[in-house]
This record gives sequence, C-alpha cells and structure tokens, in this order.
Amino acid sequence: MGKITLLILLLCILPTTAALAGARHFTFLYEAPTSAPGSVESENWITWERLTNPERSDQIGFRHEIEIGVTDHFQASIYFVDWSYARDRKQSSFNYSDSAIELIYNLTNPVIDPVGLSIYGEISGGRQHFELESKLIAQKNFGPLILDYNLTLEAEWEQQGLQEHQGELQQALGASYELSPRISVGLEFFHEFVFPEWRDDEKIRNVFVGPNVAFRRRNWFVTVTALAQATNTSDDADFKVRTIFGFGF
Amino acid sequence: MLSVVVACLLACQLADYVPPVAPQMAAATRGRHVDVATLREGRRLLVHRCIECHTLPPIWHYALEDWPNIVNSMSHRASLKPAERDAIVAYILAARSTGQY
Repeated sequence: MGKITLLILLLCILPTTAALAGARHFTFLYEAPTSAPGSVESENWITWERLTNPERSDQIGFRHEIEIGVTDHFQASIYFVDWSYARDRKQSSFNYSDSAIELIYNLTNPVIDPVGLSIYGEISGGRQHFELESKLIAQKNFGPLILDYNLTLEAEWEQQGLQEHQGELQQALGASYELSPRISVGLEFFHEFVFPEWRDDEKIRNVFVGPNVAFRRRNWFVTVTALAQATNTSDDADFKVRTIFGFGF
Repeated sequence: MLSVVVACLLACQLADYVPPVAPQMAAATRGRHVDVATLREGRRLLVHRCIECHTLPPIWHYALEDWPNIVNSMSHRASLKPAERDAIVAYILAARSTGQY
C-alpha cells in the first residue's frame, strides 16, 4: 500500500515539473544551497571501495535518489534503495542495505551572508539496519571558489535484532574552483571518528583525501571524487571513488 | 603562504559579485520602469537559484546585451518563472547601468 501511494504521488508530481534541482561540486560533501521550489531531479550514486587489509576485497555501492525542491529554503529527498555488490577471493554477493528520507533546510546564503549554513537530517532503515544522521553544512563562495564544510553525527543499529550499535562523528572539508560555468575541479578531505558500541576504546580515526572534478550541461551533471586513505586503518577502504550522476526530469 | 591565500579570498569577496540594490539603480533603469522591489527580488533570486549549479560570474564579465539571453538560456533548469527571470535580468542591467560595474 505504501509503495503504491508513493508511486501515485511521484506520477502526480513529475509531469508538473521539468527542471534540474542543482549540480554538485562535491560527492562526499553536501552544499548549503537547496533546490529550487518545484524542481525534481534523479541522482544516482556509485561508490567503489577497495580494501586490502586484512585481505583484498571490492565493494560497489549504489544509491538511487529523487530530490525535490519544496520551498526556496527547503528540499526533501527519497533514497529508494541503497544496495551493493561485494567481492573477495572466496565469494561475491549482492546486498540490499536500506531506503532513506533526507531533509535539508537552508538558513543563510553562501554569497551574500558571511557563511551559508544549512541543516540536514536523514533517517534510513532496512533489513537489519537503522540509521539516524544529522549534519551542519557551512559554505562560502569566493567568486569562482567554493569552500565547503560538513560536520556529521551518525548513529547506526545493525545486525540481527539491531543489537550492534555504532556512532560516527565526521568532518569533511572541500574546495572547488570553477574553471568555466561547466567544469569545476577541487579537493575533498574527510575525517571520521568511529565509536563501536558508543565507545572510543579502539580509537578508530580515518582520514581520506583526494581530488574531484564536476561537469554540468543542460539538465544533467556528473561529479567524480577519488579518495585515498591517509591513515593506516585496517577494515576500511584503502581508496574509494564516488560518482554522482544527476538529471532533471 | 597563508596571507597570500587570505588576500586572494578577500580580493574575491571585495569584488562584490552582487552589489546591494540602491535607489540610483532604479533611477538608472529609465525607460524600463523597474522599481526597487523588483530589483531586490532579482538580486535575491540571483543569489539563491543560480548558485545551485554554478558560481556567480562578475556582472561585468559579459556584455550588457548578452545578459538577457544568458539568463533566459538557464531559466528553465533554475525553475524560474518569466517574471522571476525578468527580475534577475532587470537587476543585472540596473547594476551595470550605474556605471560602477
């Protein structure tokens, strides 16, 4: 019943709109501006992660999102399905992870205010997975240069009966320089603190850094970021490449 | 090194890509009869809608006569209604007409 209602809602909304919600300059960071009211966009994420310690494995994660501009300062997104393909020397598998709803409210503008600020909330759930995520997004535009900062707090419950708990605090910093109205290049820096069972006994700290490039044209865009791990944490990716492709209906 | 970076950022900031609306801007639109409220709305839309896809170029970057076509070509993807598109163009042309930009 819920899926049918959602489908009907989307079919009602889509024909009345025909615009791109906005292009991304970063893939591991969110930007402060929200989508124009009435705009609808599909964003598809592909993240490839390579892990070599304790043994080599690859994972490709997929997210499929519909982003809707509600008002000048408020946007909502639906992540229909997050799923992945994982492979190591012994086996390979497809896994459905979760579906999610995301809300972003813009408080100040990155061009005319001292700092552009937005607040972000996401709730996701799936089989043996439940997650709450909140962010503070800060951005400042200096002419063709965009400086962006995200502070994220995550709480996850996983496994049978959602008995495994984990908290994460993340901060990400990005810079993007617009070479032309269509092309931007930049850097992304990602720093995470992981708290298994809400404790900091293991002192897990991960740092990733790498370049990005974004291209936009007419009603579509594509942004790619490649991050390498700058710390020496096992059980986490040595490098990851994320591509987000978006298009307006 | 840091001071050079800060100086570059301040220079970008001082360039004032979207000058505030002043009464002389409305006066400079003689013949087009644009009021201050429309110019303020044009500036507000410029800084909210256009930066969803790209940063803002300096308004002196393109020729005066090119601006209507530039804004019009992207108005659809920015979900701009005709009146909103016209307000942005009016603001840019008014800011240019003051002679400071």
